[in-house]
Amino acid sequence: MIARPIAGSPRPYQFPDFSYQRLDNGLGVWLVPLPDRELVSIHLLTDAGAASEDEAHAGIGDLTAQLLVTGTQRLDASAFAETTERLGFAVASESSWDSARASFTALGSKLDEGLALLVEMLRTPRLDSGEFDRLKGERLNDILQARADPGRLADESFLREVFADEVPYGRLSAGRPESVEALTVEDSRAFHATHYAPNVADIIISGAISSDSALAAVERHLGDWTGHAPEHRTIEPVQRGGRRIVLVDRPGSVQSELRVGHLGIDRHDPRYFPALVMAALLGGVFGSRLNVRLREELGYTYGARCSFDPRRAVGPFLASAAVQTEVTTDAIRELLGQLDRIREAPPTEVELAEVRDFLVGVFPLRFETTGGIASAIEPLAVYDQPHDWWQTYRGKLEAVGTEDVHRVAGELVQPDEALILVVGDASALRPALETAELGPVEVVAAG
Amino acid sequence: MAQVPIQRHVLDNGLRVVLSRDPRAPLVAVNLWYDVGSKHEKPGKTGFAHLFEHMMFQGSANVEKGQHFSLVQAAGGTLNASTWLDRTNYFETLPGHELELALWLEADRMASLLPAMTQEKLDNQRDVVKNERRWSVDNQPYGSWDEKMQALVYPEAHPYHHSTIGSMEDLSAASLEDVGEFFATWYAPNNAVLTVAGDFETDEALAMIEHHFGPIPPNDALPPPPDMTVDPLIGAPVRETIPDQVPLPRIYLASRIPPFGTDEFDALDVAADILGAGRASRLYASLVREQRLAQDASVFVFPIVGGASMFALWVTARPGVSTETLESATLAEVDRLAADGPTEGDLERVNNLHAAHLAGALERIGERADRLSMYTCLFDEPERINTESSRWAAVDARRVSEALQASLRPDNRVTLTYVPAEAAP
Repeated sequence: MIARPIAGSPRPYQFPDFSYQRLDNGLGVWLVPLPDRELVSIHLLTDAGAASEDEAHAGIGDLTAQLLVTGTQRLDASAFAETTERLGFAVASESSWDSARASFTALGSKLDEGLALLVEMLRTPRLDSGEFDRLKGERLNDILQARADPGRLADESFLREVFADEVPYGRLSAGRPESVEALTVEDSRAFHATHYAPNVADIIISGAISSDSALAAVERHLGDWTGHAPEHRTIEPVQRGGRRIVLVDRPGSVQSELRVGHLGIDRHDPRYFPALVMAALLGGVFGSRLNVRLREELGYTYGARCSFDPRRAVGPFLASAAVQTEVTTDAIRELLGQLDRIREAPPTEVELAEVRDFLVGVFPLRFETTGGIASAIEPLAVYDQPHDWWQTYRGKLEAVGTEDVHRVAGELVQPDEALILVVGDASALRPALETAELGPVEVVAAG
Repeated sequence: MAQVPIQRHVLDNGLRVVLSRDPRAPLVAVNLWYDVGSKHEKPGKTGFAHLFEHMMFQGSANVEKGQHFSLVQAAGGTLNASTWLDRTNYFETLPGHELELALWLEADRMASLLPAMTQEKLDNQRDVVKNERRWSVDNQPYGSWDEKMQALVYPEAHPYHHSTIGSMEDLSAASLEDVGEFFATWYAPNNAVLTVAGDFETDEALAMIEHHFGPIPPNDALPPPPDMTVDPLIGAPVRETIPDQVPLPRIYLASRIPPFGTDEFDALDVAADILGAGRASRLYASLVREQRLAQDASVFVFPIVGGASMFALWVTARPGVSTETLESATLAEVDRLAADGPTEGDLERVNNLHAAHLAGALERIGERADRLSMYTCLFDEPERINTESSRWAAVDARRVSEALQASLRPDNRVTLTYVPAEAAP
């Protein structure tokens, strides 16, 4: 066999320099000038995600984010869409658990006009009742559609079953049908008035800008923004507990969507880096244990993976695969077997190096686009991560050793506590699952 | 807009090489298009081009099963491959100093795949691909639409009549002999385009390419391209209703149109964006926002070159809206655009959206390399990457209107209506 070619010497790469300042009204301003780019990306973040809702209004954060792009006091929905799109960009506005984000990417020459429109939308939105009703209807329809899609149904069901009843994370950040149904445009107006304010907001601009003129533009458009938003609530995740199987019946399914997992880590967990490496080794790259075993050796699935979903509070750790109905029980056994295995012994140096080298080496590739760079600043703004996060990132990955992987696997992977959520044809799956002794089986209807 | 630099070379064995240097980031993209796709499949062998693509990751003379992935990833790279109607592409993006690794891996499987092939590997990847089909088609709401649409838009003997994923029966029948024959026929340097984009030194890269790919023999008996001839119009309206596990009905409309690369295709590409791109698009504004008949609307053209391409759209009905009402409202918008043509505002909007979108796509060297390979493989003209914007800008109202009138007519339209299974007659 001929050995692989020897690599040349690497060219050093650093995450782009950026500046940070806070305006008098509290707005954080992050500027990443990239003079050799044609495009500019603006991400405006506010602490107005689902963690800022109360449960009675679950879904109002997401609906409000969507409602923002339906116009301003000056421009109605049609005129706002027309004006921005003629400039060559569409504004995206969405929310997650920990923040709401309005953003766009445009040619650098459109920066001033684009920023003006984005700020107009944020500060003086139309929040029209007709558009609210339309979007609410679309959201309810989308929930309906999601429950017919086995993958989306599995994701949603997993959250509902893995968290205890009182934990907000037991739902999608976009809400539940019952809560969305009750929302009104007044709720949205109140949410906007309360949670969109400079003291909880950050603007990130990356790309074809100069720092001076971009800062001047931000001060011009946002320097006189006033208001003071309250803190988001504190979420305290608790697991429903115990190893068990929940089988969501979807008659006629030719595959079973598997979601196996439990609670994981939060954004500030000191084990963040070893956990990242461990999850990649177990199910984060093509050559990971789960994918190699379930796909490349057994042919049970098109792909198997796992990951943590760290948030301000503890989010789930989740392994997933869509497997042929006939092999469902065996696939679960194999998947659990890999969770056991990673706890039992450290990986070899060779196996660890492959994954670690990937995570370290792929670093520049993550920041090819202006949008990718702006997104990379987001956790610094939202989670108050240190500003040298990306400067020290690769070093922290390189420091992870085989014993670290073994230790965090022992602490963070808990097959005996895992929820095994299956979306599939219960009539075909139930007998085998009940005799498999993998845990008590509960069958529930979809939705 | 900044021009993408292009340098062309052809090796003695016929391999077409495109280089596009850009040292801004220490990254390099390697991209290979093989001029073979599902349109080249023989009867009874549907899905084989794609199954074969999977076999290309199962090792070659000097590479173990799975090692292609692990070597590139350990080098800090990303990689994948895909198969479609006209072609199969393989691509890696990795740190610039690992360029030779990607070239070596691609050359090793182009030169010597077969010694690594076994029945066990074929059986394994057949199972994987069947699960890919279950996941993307059979177990997915509306998942069968493109397979059904191709079967109805193209006549039975046409190479686009069948889907790239293929049928379960044909996948079951695929043999190791098929792998050998397919490889010997299509996986030759004179049936491929190799693009390298990003951070490299030209002389060094060319020497590496020559070293690794130069010794691979061409196939001097490449089969002639398949006969893609097809009438420009379907000839009569075609309709089908499909009961499925879906909560909301959805209507798919498709028409046979002139192939990718023609002026008419460009005009219909522009028309698709006027109808479907963004919140100011005709269908979104009218059906979703104003009339509230649809939950969503999507419009696109297939960039395929054989005989005829496809213009397709879908609209999902809001609860309580009949499919008849939604269909006629959708056609009213299409017909209005065809009859009156776009406004200056429509054209300005889609041109500016397209220019920014293109600039965004070309920020990624992997995408740049893929488009260079595409234009070379399909048209022998990589320079088209630099005229994409001007071809769009050259489309005027009259061309949009004429192209729509010529193609989007009732006797050239397939209508597929997905309805909730329990509500079906």
